[in-house]
Amino acid sequence: MAGGARYLDPAIVARLGTIDLKARTIVEGFLTGLHRSPYKGFSVEFAEYRQYIHGDDLATLDWKVFARSDRHFVKKFEEETNLTCHLLLDISRSMAYGSGGITKLQYGSYLTGALAYLMHRQRDAFGLIAFDDRISALLPASARSGHLRAVLLALERLKIGAKTDVAKPLNDLAAAVRKRGLVVLVSDLLDDPVRVLDGLKHFRYRGTDVIVFHILDPYELEFPFEHAARFRDMETADEVMAVPRAVRQDYIDRLQELIATYRRELGLAGIDYCLLDTSKPLELGLMSYLMTRRKLL
Amino acid sequence: MFGISFLSPLFLIGAAAAVIPILLHLFHRRTDVVIDFPAVRLLKRGPIEQHRRRRLREVILLALRVTALVLLAVSFARPYLAGAVAPESAPLTVVAADVSMSLSAPGQIERVREAAQQAIRSAPGPHAVALVAFADAATVVVPPTLDRALALAAAAQLTAGPGGTRYRTALARAAELAGVREARVVVITDLQQAGWEVNDDGGLPDGVGVEVVTIPPPPSNVAVTSAERRDRTIVATVQNYGAAPASVPVALLVDGKTVANVTVDVAALSATEARLTGELPGSGAARVVVDDAAGYQGDNIRHVVLDPPPAVSIAVIVADPTGATGGLYLERALSVAGGGREFRVDVVDGRAFSRWTAAAVAHQAALVVLGTRTLDRTGRERIKSYLNGGGQLWLSLGPDIDPATLADVIGADLGVTPAPVAGPSGGATMVASDGRHPIFRPFLNPSGALGDVQVDQHRRLNDHTGRTVLARFSGGDPALTEQAVGRGRLLIFTSDLDNLWSRFPLSPAFVPFAVETARYLTAGRQQRQAWVLPDTPRGVAAVPGVARVGAGTSGYSVALNVNVRESNPATTSVDEFTSGIERTSRSGQPAPGRQAREVEDRQRWWQIGLLVMLAALAGEGLVGRRAT
Repeated sequence: MAGGARYLDPAIVARLGTIDLKARTIVEGFLTGLHRSPYKGFSVEFAEYRQYIHGDDLATLDWKVFARSDRHFVKKFEEETNLTCHLLLDISRSMAYGSGGITKLQYGSYLTGALAYLMHRQRDAFGLIAFDDRISALLPASARSGHLRAVLLALERLKIGAKTDVAKPLNDLAAAVRKRGLVVLVSDLLDDPVRVLDGLKHFRYRGTDVIVFHILDPYELEFPFEHAARFRDMETADEVMAVPRAVRQDYIDRLQELIATYRRELGLAGIDYCLLDTSKPLELGLMSYLMTRRKLL
Repeated sequence: MFGISFLSPLFLIGAAAAVIPILLHLFHRRTDVVIDFPAVRLLKRGPIEQHRRRRLREVILLALRVTALVLLAVSFARPYLAGAVAPESAPLTVVAADVSMSLSAPGQIERVREAAQQAIRSAPGPHAVALVAFADAATVVVPPTLDRALALAAAAQLTAGPGGTRYRTALARAAELAGVREARVVVITDLQQAGWEVNDDGGLPDGVGVEVVTIPPPPSNVAVTSAERRDRTIVATVQNYGAAPASVPVALLVDGKTVANVTVDVAALSATEARLTGELPGSGAARVVVDDAAGYQGDNIRHVVLDPPPAVSIAVIVADPTGATGGLYLERALSVAGGGREFRVDVVDGRAFSRWTAAAVAHQAALVVLGTRTLDRTGRERIKSYLNGGGQLWLSLGPDIDPATLADVIGADLGVTPAPVAGPSGGATMVASDGRHPIFRPFLNPSGALGDVQVDQHRRLNDHTGRTVLARFSGGDPALTEQAVGRGRLLIFTSDLDNLWSRFPLSPAFVPFAVETARYLTAGRQQRQAWVLPDTPRGVAAVPGVARVGAGTSGYSVALNVNVRESNPATTSVDEFTSGIERTSRSGQPAPGRQAREVEDRQRWWQIGLLVMLAALAGEGLVGRRAT
């Protein structure tokens, strides 16, 4: 399904201009692909027209119909809902790591932007929260037409933060969200897994659905270093002298154990978990989102 | 007092190189790659090295490197413990203890030890003390030191050796130690008269006081002063140095087993012969032992080599050894001497001889030249160098001699007429000029044996200053002459020894003539089988016994025995001793620092320093390897 020719290389996406262009490119390409694929049900297909009533968004008014019939009709889409989505993007210092042409933060930003674009097309309300050990950017969820630009602009202006503390903003946000909706967490989850899981489960307790995009660099997954070096933690500056060939397997085992823990515990909590390698196409993230969204509707 | 001093302190400047690793440690220690990585916390509990541990290892590496450099510099500076060495200016008491063979009688060396310790203890308070043990040589057992316990301990270890007494050597050593400082010398000796007899040098500087502690000699002494093999008998000389007659058991031991016993009666102050007959092996060693419990123990044994004397090497140079008679008669004549073991004869032609090395030529006790026609320039030079360097040469002016090149061979004009001279009909006879000459001694009885020699032709020699005619032909021409050439000796037989110009080789007189002439030439060139200490062959320790000189077939055994001069217990008085000491001026004393060099040479801390340095480098290598 994920043929390389069909999806965009994240490194190529990174070279595109502004983030809205990137988001548009990703989503339109993705949707075009979907139209040609057996996954039409995921798309935002046009369903019917209905009479315009006061309060409808003028953007949904079909001006062509108005021109032909002099009546006001609005487009009714197949999967249009009142879904409220909160996009949580980790901007801690560890997200600045990138072994190839793209960092984890860039990858996460593009994914977040693409998700926002997709939500916008689906008329879902969406908001953006960027955090490290505290919330540094907050755009409340909205379905207004100008909101997408605001979100994309916010993504464009994000600066790398400090130490990760996923649990704290999650708990803060969980307490603030009153309406059921969807929380999308984009993070490398390099934090205490117990606290991260507690924070995410907090949403579930309040009836909010959660999808977690776990962003990791290929070097983090494979630890392909060759020569002995001092490895400095990007957040704590702790240093560890290591001979890669001597520690590689142990490191990979520990990372896989961490991933397995997240996968297992999140699954038990009814939270979708998607591990994304920054060398892999962003569309895989969109696919995961749509699958989750479909379950909600 | 016990600080470290250095012989070459300038080398300590090299220790400054230790700052290099320190600077590298301080400014360039982070030479490894630093990688920013987000998931470091997953590395921490793995089998990896913590940063703190690495810091510790860096410090250890630094310490090892600095240690190695400092030790290198310190080792080259030649350190020594100065505490054991008294200052050059401190007054000194030198205790010179006689440890010669004449102190080997029962109880004597114990008295020497006690006297030495007493002298050390009673040395004036501010004095440093030094201990010298002397016999043929004087050894500084303890250099000048303030550590009297060290000197006392060394004095307790003194033992009598096989050496002879040499007072002057001991005094010279004491004078060296004293240098220019205030000093006194305590000589502990039996005052043996023989100690002054050796003609060596040595005395004490003016102002150096001498005290003599006398060790009484034994009341009597019986010694074996010589022993030699005569077929199945060992003939030994037993000397009684006592004032009373003695009846002494004498035993002959071979391989530790007694082969013969005899008791000899020896009058006072006289010697007698002891003949010990038994089954003696053809080779090996034997000991003649006298039972003299009261006298010197070192002279109770005389070692004898049973091997026949090593054969004397003689090279016979002929024109062509493949000819019918080249050197044959001479070789056969010499081969019967000494039961066939006295001479080892090599017959070589001129070409082969030219290929001999100078060392091989020098090894020959004598050269016999019967032909020169095949000698090239190298061969001629070899002979000339050998003769002028002290070699013995016997030249036969037979038909294979080229008179034109003789000057090149000998290095001197011999005045030989080129053409041979014919003798009277029936041949000329030979007459010795002096029948008492060693060569002609065998012909005294039966008289007239040389008269049977018949020589048809010979070469005539012109008169030559310095040439002695040992024999003449019946016509009056010289038959055998002797002359010095350079430092060597040349015998010329003016006729032929190969049965070409004469029938001499076929006459009964030829064999004794050839053998005695060879013996006369090679006298003193035989390998010595008996040595008297302290003289020894090169590479042989000065210890009484039997030792092997050389290796392989050219090796031979030698017997080493104590000098009988040391067996005489006759003593001198203290006054005679002190008056016999030659006094020297203090100028010409050895430069200060020699003592320190001796101490450093004995302590050899530099070797330990280098060993520790190597260990530090090895440790650095091991620790450093773990860091990569």
